[in-house]
Order: sequence, then C-alpha cells, then structure tokens
Amino acid sequence: MSSKMLHVALREFNSTVLTKGFILGIVMTPVIIVLVVAAVGLVAALQGPKVAGTVAVIDRTGLGVGEAVAQRFTEEAAKAEAEQTEKALAQTMDRTAARFGSDEKQRERMQGLMAGRIKPLTHLSVEVLPPDADVEEAKAKVAAADAKKAPGSAEGEEKPRIALAVIDSGVVYMSEEGTYSTFDLFLAPKMDFEIAGRIEQRIREAILDARIAADPRVRASGMDPADVRALTKAPEANARTVTKDGERKTSEIASLVIPVGFMVLLLVAVMTAGQYLLTTTIEEKGSRVMEVLLSAVSPMELMVGKILGQMGVGLLILVLYSGLGMASLVAFSLQHLVDPMNVVYLVIFFLIAFFLIASFMAAIGSAVTELREAQTLMTPVMAAMMVPWILWMPISRAPNSLFSTILSFVPGVNPFVMMIRLSGSERVPAWQIPASILVGVVSAMLAAWAAAKIFRVGVLMYGKPPDFRTLVRWVRMA
Amino acid sequence: MSDAIVIEGLTKTFGPKVAVDDVSLRIPAGTVCGFIGPNGAGKTTTIRMIMSIIFPDRGRIEVLGRSSAIESKDRIGYLPEERGVYRKMRVTNFLTYMARLKGVDSRGLKDKIRVWLDRVGLADAARKRCEELSKGMQQKVQFLAAVLHEPDLLILDEVFSGLDPVNRRLMRQLIDEQHRLGRTIIFSTHNMYEAEQLCDRIFMIHHGRKMLDASLREILARFDPRAVLVEPMSDDGIEAIRAVDGIADVVRGVGAGARNHVYEAKLEEGVEASAALARIAAAVPVRRLELKRVNLEDVFIELVERSGERPPSREELSDAAAAAAAEEATANV
Repeated sequence: MSSKMLHVALREFNSTVLTKGFILGIVMTPVIIVLVVAAVGLVAALQGPKVAGTVAVIDRTGLGVGEAVAQRFTEEAAKAEAEQTEKALAQTMDRTAARFGSDEKQRERMQGLMAGRIKPLTHLSVEVLPPDADVEEAKAKVAAADAKKAPGSAEGEEKPRIALAVIDSGVVYMSEEGTYSTFDLFLAPKMDFEIAGRIEQRIREAILDARIAADPRVRASGMDPADVRALTKAPEANARTVTKDGERKTSEIASLVIPVGFMVLLLVAVMTAGQYLLTTTIEEKGSRVMEVLLSAVSPMELMVGKILGQMGVGLLILVLYSGLGMASLVAFSLQHLVDPMNVVYLVIFFLIAFFLIASFMAAIGSAVTELREAQTLMTPVMAAMMVPWILWMPISRAPNSLFSTILSFVPGVNPFVMMIRLSGSERVPAWQIPASILVGVVSAMLAAWAAAKIFRVGVLMYGKPPDFRTLVRWVRMA
Repeated sequence: MSDAIVIEGLTKTFGPKVAVDDVSLRIPAGTVCGFIGPNGAGKTTTIRMIMSIIFPDRGRIEVLGRSSAIESKDRIGYLPEERGVYRKMRVTNFLTYMARLKGVDSRGLKDKIRVWLDRVGLADAARKRCEELSKGMQQKVQFLAAVLHEPDLLILDEVFSGLDPVNRRLMRQLIDEQHRLGRTIIFSTHNMYEAEQLCDRIFMIHHGRKMLDASLREILARFDPRAVLVEPMSDDGIEAIRAVDGIADVVRGVGAGARNHVYEAKLEEGVEASAALARIAAAVPVRRLELKRVNLEDVFIELVERSGERPPSREELSDAAAAAAAEEATANV
C-alpha cells in the first residue's frame, strides 16, 4: 500500500469517526441501550407504594374462610409468603439458566441479586365482617378510602378500608354443574396493581384451601390439603439436546438469537461503513475537491484508500458492538454460546461483505453528484440488504437444508447466510466454509474491478446522473 | 533550455465531439505560459490530460521529462478550474492533508502553512472550517494547496476568476514570485490583460486546435496592426488624414472608438510609423493621436473570427458553433 493510500484512508477514517454524528450515533447507541436497560432494572427494583389499611371480608360460607384469609395477612404469614415467592422465582431462574447452560457460579450470583428483593406485604390487616353485613354499606367505606395515603398516620386513627371481598358458599362448594362460582373483590380507587394482585392471591389461596378441606373425598382420605396442592402442580421439563458427543443443555432460544445477533452485527457494520463511503465520495465529487485530489493521487489510489478508511470504520463498529455483546454474554456467564471461531469468521465475512458493498457504494458515489441522485442506483443494493432479514428464520431453523446450502454460494448474500449458519446450532460441513469464502472473495474482487472502472470515469463526470446501462458502458469503456 | 512539457499529436474525443484535435506543443522550463482560448475550446481538457486525470485517445505527453504526470505528480502543483475544498475540514488540516498527499514531510509543515496563510492574508482563517470562507478566500487556500509542496511545474486553470482587484494583484504577485523561483507556470485564462502582464509565451486553442503558439514579443510583432489611432478636432479632418503621405486608408474605429470619433489610419507597407505620426499631426488639428498597439484581445478575437472562415474540411463538426463563438466575441468588444 502506498503512503498516499494510507493518507487517504486515514483522512477518510478520521473525518468519519471524529464527528459528532458518528460519536453520538455509533458510540452512544450502545451506551444508551445499556443505560435504558439499567434504568428499567432500577425502576423495576423500586418498591411499590407502601399501603396501610384493612381488607374487609364478608364470608358467607360458614367455613371460616374469612379467618383463613386473616391468617394470611399476619406478619409471619406475609414473611413466609415472601420466602416462598423468592424460592419459586429462583427455581424459574434456575430452569432458564439451565436452558442457556449457565454455570453454578452465575446462578448463585443471580440468586444473590434477587435475594431480599421480595419484600413481605405487611401493614395490612383483615377485618372479618358478619356474614349478613350490608355489602353496599361496606363498599361505601372502600370507595371513601385513599389507598395512596401514607402509612403510619396518627395512632388510633381508623385505618382506611382498601378492599372488600365477598365470598359466597358457591365459591367453595361445587355446584351441580360441576363448577365453582367467583368471588367479588372491591378495591379502593388508586390502588397499586401489585398490592391488589397480592391481596387477591391471598384470598384465592385461602379459598382453594377451603375447597380442598371441604371436599368430602379429601376428607375421607385424610389427606392434608397442602399435599393435594403439591400433587396438582405441573412439572417443568429439564430439557437437554442429545448429540453424538454427549448431552448438552438445550438452548432453542439461543440458537435463534445468536445467529440473528451475528447477522445484525455484520449488517450494521457493513451498511454503516458503506453509507459513509457513499456520502464522502459524493461530497468529494459534489464539492469539486475530487480534481484536486486526483492531481495528487490516482483514482485507484483514491478509491482503495477510501475503501480502506471506511473498512476501519466498519471494523471499529464491529469491535465496539461485538465487544459489547461479548461483555454482556460474559456478564451472564453465557460466553459458551458463542464459538470463538465465529468471531474470526465474523471478521472474514465482514471483509467480504464490506468490499462488495463498498465497491458498489464507491461506484455509485462516483457516478452521481448529489445524494438524491444516488437513490435510484441504491435501490438494488438496499433490496439485497433486506434479503438477510427474510432469510434469517428459515436458515437458522434449518441451517443445513438445501436452500441454506445453495444460498451460501450466492454472491452478495453468502456472508450473511454463512454467518447465520455458522453461529447456529448445527455444524456446517467443513468444505462449505472455504468454498463460500472463495465465492465471496472472487465476487468482491470482481465488484472492486468494475467499481474501479466506473470510479475512474465517474469522478469527473458531471451532469445527468447515469443509469445502470451507462455504468455498464463505463465498465466496458474504461 | 529543456522543456517542461512536450505534447505531440494530442487528440481526445468525447463521443462525437472532438475536444482536443491533434495538438502539439512545447513549453520551455522556467517560462510563464498563458493558455488562452474561448469557452469550450479544450483548455481544461488539455490540462486534465497533462495532469493524467483523463487520458488522450492519441498522442504523447511528456511532463518534466517523464512519460506522464503520474510519475511526476509530486512535482506538479495544480489548481483546477473547478474549485473544491472539504467543506467541513479546517483550513490547516486541509492544507496539511493536501501537502502530505503531495509527499511533503510533516516536519515543519505546520509552520510553513502558517507562513503561507499569513502571506495571503488568511492567518485568521487557519482554524476555520473551509465552508466558513468566502469564495475568494477558498481560492487562495486552493492556490496554497497547489504551491505548498514547491512544485517545479504549476498549472493554474482560470486562477483569476472570482477574485477581487486586490486579490487579483496579489495573485499576480504570487505567480510572478513563483516565476522568479524558476518554476514553470501554465495558466489558462479568458482575461487578456492578465495574460499580457504575466506571460512569456502564449498558447491559444480554439475548437480543440492550436491557433497560436509563440512568445509574447513575437505575437506583438506579428500582429502589429500598423495603424494610427486619431481623433480629429472635427470630422472634416478625415479627408485630410487620408491625403497624408503613407496612409493607405482611414476607417472608423471600432467599439468605444466609434462613439468617440476615433479613426484608424492604416499605414502603407514600409512606412515608418513615427514619421507618419508627425505628418498627421502636421496635416490636421487632432485631439488625440497615438500608434495603435496590439493587444492580446485583438489577436484573440481576430484568430477566433478567422477560424470561422476556414475551409469546411476543418470545420466539419461545429461550423455553427464557431460562427456563434466569433459573433459573441465580436459583440463583446
């Protein structure tokens, strides 16, 4: 590479990267994403509003459901409930982690993060009203309550009634049709959805226990209602994929998400750098600085220098974004989902896809005088860039189908197809990788050759923007 | 003296249009050569071919002893007709980039740029972005980009266009200075005044063909109009002038001369101009009497006009265009 090319490449890189637009758009985007995710986590971790008050129960079953509900609102019961929730959550997380194949340490860390997050719901007490209490009257008190009122208000002051549950016997006893009826729950205005949900949950559990206890068959068997409840809980699968080499944890989601991650990474890096190349070429031509440049460097040096400069920009984007992706995978101990070799392939296929796109961009940029004029010529390039999005699903679901294999050798889309296949769950036949790379390299070289010819003619052509036929003529002419 | 540029049989066509037609030319090293010709004559095309930005269909170009400008790009300074700077780039950065592309060592470059900017009155603009400069200022920046690497050959396409009188003078001084440093300078222009002021040699093309290639002195001698401009006190004096010994004919002056009753008295072959002046002064009372001096504008117009009368074989392509150009040139007088 001549030193002139290097100067061109350096200027191209600097003038692209050291701009507000680039720094804000490319560098800040991941930062903003991280900040938003962190903010969402932070907000989710915030406690709901503290609520103090009473939950009134009109129990018409005569089975002491009201007392059972009251039992669930005592401080000890609330603590036990919180522990239970935490345990259940930990189990769910364990299962999810197992699917992605996280290690023990990571699971412990996640549990540590969650520990103590589930706060018991206290400050609520139950007021069991007589079964014949007037519902309308009881409701009026709920309507008057302000659920948002801060707790700990003056001692002795009457606590607001924030909810009223009316439980009929039909809720506990099965009707002749074999169904249970529902219970009424009246909530005070401006009630926090989470607290309302938990109040409802406690009442439902009390009712469920009452149902089990009231069932003559259970009574006859002498079973504990808690055992019955445990019996009815649906089991979760501990899924694993069986391969010739042994078992491994199944990650259906990962086998879809990781390939699309690679594809998007490739697409973003290629398109961003390609767009910049188009813009700077048009700028140089439009501002007529082109001829001054051509008095110092040859068109070929200029084009290659510019492409190399933007290649640096693309690689920077690739490194930034893939680094961020890897960092987040490592943070969740999921790095084993990505084969390090795929990062190498990512760079190889980036170079192939970039040189192909960059050739088109340089050719189009040199042929027109304004960005507006480039639109028509850009249409086929943009259409080609849409193809990976369409192909993503079918290819990642069947990475070694005939369809996928054929597309791996179609110039233009093959880098994307190969990236999806390589990062998917199935092993790509070894011969296809170098073969696809070869197709890519040859097509990129052909495109660069044609682009160089168009570039040489195009850079000093002003006036009517050429159509495709004219571009082909330039390739033949030069 | 060796030649900075040698061109032989240079031809370039764009589709059906012959932009440059079999032009041969030698530019001796160290000269200032004016490259004149009407609009669309092929000046810029010729310059671009000299610069190897475009390539001729036929013909040979030798630049600074090499077979093409590509091999001696770093020794050539070029100011294209189409001015252009990176709009967002700062002036110093732009000049540094251009100089580096021309192979200038980065050491001392900053100082050099500062000195030059100071010289052309752009010291304050060093940190500015190019887009913040006026057109004339941008042009001066471009001129610096062309000379920073101290080229042996300086090619300036329409260097004076768009400059105000103060900057035109500055530009003349700068070109003159480059000339004194022994550099070969080619500049294309429409402006005959600047060409006369600066050039050792004049080279003119029209319709892609070479019309004139001579030193300024030769041109002045060859196109000497051998006429006296005279403005008699009254129009009756014309007959008296016509009767003066050695005067072949008296015609009304052209252009502004016609309005001011200035007449042109053509001298007969072999007549001493100074003697004729004395005889006219003695014959009639005159308000004004002077020897008509050739100027490049007249030569230019005469040549363009003459080209319109060439045999059709030479004018196959753009007869009408030639006539139009000639008409326009005449109308401008």
